[in-house]
Amino acid sequence: MTTIEYRPAPPAVNFGSLTTATGNAPPVAQDVTYERILDARSEPQNWLTYYGTYDGQRYSPLDEINRENVARLLPAWVFSFAPHGLHAGQSTYAFENCPIVVDGVMYVSGWDGWVWALDAKTGQLLWQYKHAIPFDTSLCCGNVNRGVAVADGKVFVCTLNAHVLALDATTGSLVWDVTSGDVRAGESLTVAPLVVKDRVVVGSSGGEFGVRGHLDAYDVGTGERVWRCYTIPKPGEPGSETWPAEGEAWARGGGNCWITGTFDQETNLLYWGTGNPAPDFDGEIRPGANLHTDSVIAVDADTGEIRWHYQCTPHDLWDYDSNMECILFEQDGRKLLAHFDKNGYCFVLDRTNGERVRIFPFVDRITWGEISPDGAVTPRIYPDKEGEEVHFYPGPAGAKEWTHAAYSPETGLFYVPVQDTGARVARRRREFKESIPYWGAAVIVDAEDMAGSVSAFDPATGQEVWRWRNDLPMCASVLATGGGLVFAGTPAGQFVALDARSGEMLWQFNCGSGHHSSPSTYSIDGKQYIAVPVGWGAWVEGFLPGMMGGPHGQAMFVFSLPEGVESAGGR
Amino acid sequence: MRSLTTLTPDRSEQLHRFGLDKQNEGTLGRLLATGNVAQAEEGPDGRMSATIRIVPDQLVWDPSVLVLPHGGELDIEFLNDDQNTHCALVPSNGDSQWVWLPNYTRGTVHVVLDGPGYYWFSSNVGNDEGRGLIGAIVVMGDVPASARLDRPPQPRP
Repeated sequence: MTTIEYRPAPPAVNFGSLTTATGNAPPVAQDVTYERILDARSEPQNWLTYYGTYDGQRYSPLDEINRENVARLLPAWVFSFAPHGLHAGQSTYAFENCPIVVDGVMYVSGWDGWVWALDAKTGQLLWQYKHAIPFDTSLCCGNVNRGVAVADGKVFVCTLNAHVLALDATTGSLVWDVTSGDVRAGESLTVAPLVVKDRVVVGSSGGEFGVRGHLDAYDVGTGERVWRCYTIPKPGEPGSETWPAEGEAWARGGGNCWITGTFDQETNLLYWGTGNPAPDFDGEIRPGANLHTDSVIAVDADTGEIRWHYQCTPHDLWDYDSNMECILFEQDGRKLLAHFDKNGYCFVLDRTNGERVRIFPFVDRITWGEISPDGAVTPRIYPDKEGEEVHFYPGPAGAKEWTHAAYSPETGLFYVPVQDTGARVARRRREFKESIPYWGAAVIVDAEDMAGSVSAFDPATGQEVWRWRNDLPMCASVLATGGGLVFAGTPAGQFVALDARSGEMLWQFNCGSGHHSSPSTYSIDGKQYIAVPVGWGAWVEGFLPGMMGGPHGQAMFVFSLPEGVESAGGR
Repeated sequence: MRSLTTLTPDRSEQLHRFGLDKQNEGTLGRLLATGNVAQAEEGPDGRMSATIRIVPDQLVWDPSVLVLPHGGELDIEFLNDDQNTHCALVPSNGDSQWVWLPNYTRGTVHVVLDGPGYYWFSSNVGNDEGRGLIGAIVVMGDVPASARLDRPPQPRP
């Protein structure tokens, strides 16, 4: 055997150095403070926090792009990125982000631990960060991440292996890294963090694996955990009477907080939705209402204590998470919130105390049961006998998935992406084993006889004002603007602009892959841009199996008006 | 019904019998993760190290499964014993590390990985990956106690 005389290989390099990344972003994030985020609506050129503002309205007063000129909207730039090598959830990754924009810099998170800083005017890659994600991480619903938070010169992001990171916003280098959850228990993190005061608040994922959901606050500067709020009470704690006294159903009870909450400085409360109980469909394991699953919880921002709760689906048997946003608004002098739930009903609550104000349905087909205007819940169709299949509407993805509605203070209307899809479910009991899916059922979601819409509702009456119909369910967040427009993406790839007052479609663009993200808007030097991450995937078998074969995508599309188009009426 | 753990005690023999543990015999390439398994060495400071070779004409990492006792810092020295040029793309927190590996060269990458869980690394040129040059770094251990759920110990599979 010949002895090999090795020569030195060229030095190893960061893979990101083999791109066009400049390596640095302007230091715009160092001046992002809690006070600026509180007053985010006063600087509409930016999209400073996940929903744009703490109230979750997903409304921007920007109006350069408006009803008269939106037909002229064109792509300004596209940022496209593809995976390298094998990664977790290769078949399920999706681009679910909501881009944050600060003074011309866009901060974006992708699937599988990616974070990018982009020049928001040109799409130039400034820096990128890649967290290594274990291939075998438990992921119920795909390899996804919904966004970052920016403050104090840092970019905060969660990872699928349940870490919370702070990155230097100018370079993308790591500032701190804390392990927030237990991947051996099936925990992960997909939520976009919310910075409130000097804390960064995140909620856990893993409800399909029988974990115990929690919401955590970490110190912005150090990453030290300030408080943890478990959504499922231990025996003896308030709400524990809604779980079996014997056994450990509570310890596997779910109730995860995987969607960003909203915040009201005056009440000092975080309004957060909680997820399904576990096992999802086998209620006999967990008799009782199962607090605080499927609930809106109001959490003291300073202490993490639950001040009040409203449970939307007591003793859930349909996988009706209530994670979806709580939009804060005022009406007749009352401080309210609106929550469009998976179960097909919108809940309008007094956000000072959780008192029910109004409940109304927002989808055509609701067969699982009924919720009366006074809040009485009557289940009608649900998995019960072992192996006996039942069919109900809405399916487990809900009449509205996690993707967000919007509220326009200009029109006073809510705009809701609606899914009208059923499912067949048969209870199938299984033993609990840590990290193994814990559904307690066989589930097949309909791939036919489905519909979708963007529907506008008057919160004062619960009446539908208009409906823009789509053949397929609508599975992406909507965006309302001061230009009198509502933007929405379809599963087929169309990005559409609707007239906020009539629902008439005024513009569309085919982005080449389905939408399952949250668009945002911003301006630079007075020019308005609309940004939408495009990339079909995630829990498609749950919310739209008829599009399981739809093309993945991984691109940020940004639109603007061409030069020479006037904002006041166009030409 | 036999459980998976007892299904193929003679797995190596079966792979060899069907020609799946070498190039261009049973199938075109070499079935992934059919190479050797080895554990990284751990220094007194907890930093880990390992040597991984590319076997001549076999398009396989040796070991193809590298086991780490815990997450942390790892130095891997790659040696290309093959008569073709390959490379190594290795996951790491912050950014993946990438190194050219021309014929008969040696190069070191330094990576940081969380545990527990496992990661794929590969030679991401041509179809080296499909032919066999994908390996796994397996990180054992548990997350810190501070990250675990406040609940009694639960049964595992």
